[in-house]
Amino acid sequence: MLVLTRKLGEVIRIGESVTIRVLEVKGNQVRLGVDAPPEVRIYREEIYGAIRKENEKAALREGDPLDEASTAWQNQRGKR
Amino acid sequence: MAEPARKAVDGDPIHVDSKRFGAYAVPGERVLVFPEGLIGMPDARRFALMEPSRPGSPFRQLLCIDLPELGFVVCDPEELWPGYGAHLPPYEGGRENLAAMVLVTVPANPKEMTANLLAPLVVDPRTRVGRQIVLDAGRLSTRHPIFPPEDAGGGAAG
Repeated sequence: MLVLTRKLGEVIRIGESVTIRVLEVKGNQVRLGVDAPPEVRIYREEIYGAIRKENEKAALREGDPLDEASTAWQNQRGKR
Repeated sequence: MAEPARKAVDGDPIHVDSKRFGAYAVPGERVLVFPEGLIGMPDARRFALMEPSRPGSPFRQLLCIDLPELGFVVCDPEELWPGYGAHLPPYEGGRENLAAMVLVTVPANPKEMTANLLAPLVVDPRTRVGRQIVLDAGRLSTRHPIFPPEDAGGGAAG
């Protein structure tokens, strides 16, 4: 891993079009400003991980989840 | 592989042979294209949104053409959570021209189904090009219950 030390206001450039600036350092928090073209998707890592994991879980398992979902829906509806 | 699928291509129906979902054909003009794939699934780029299996059910199947054994249950979030559309980002083509669907996770006990409201799939119906986006709203969850939890702490208020 490349490790760089930056001061407040200093910038890291990644390739031609991505820059990351240190905007604020407060206690154990760092505020970063990222400039990148729209096709570069930027995520907080833990959110990316959660979505990726949920996508995998949502991928249909064995059986007939669609039918089970529709049945559960109709049963719950019937209760109200 | 390298073709930039910015726009779905019209033309002959695409025949998909899936062990899990059987053989089906998708008319070219009904193929949804996600050029970037889904998050964590970059190869899942072309999809077919199937008709609802039953009247009265909000759920449909979204089947992946590129990975024939991959499929999802999806629903229209606006139908289950009216007002959800307000969370969607502005869209240059007009927000009303953006169709959203959310992935539904159906566990062994379907009463515990959840929907991923944080990362909906948005599609421009005119180009049929879509993307899985991450909304900025702190209260939205990747695991939002479809049914309100029963007897959560004994006697739900409201």
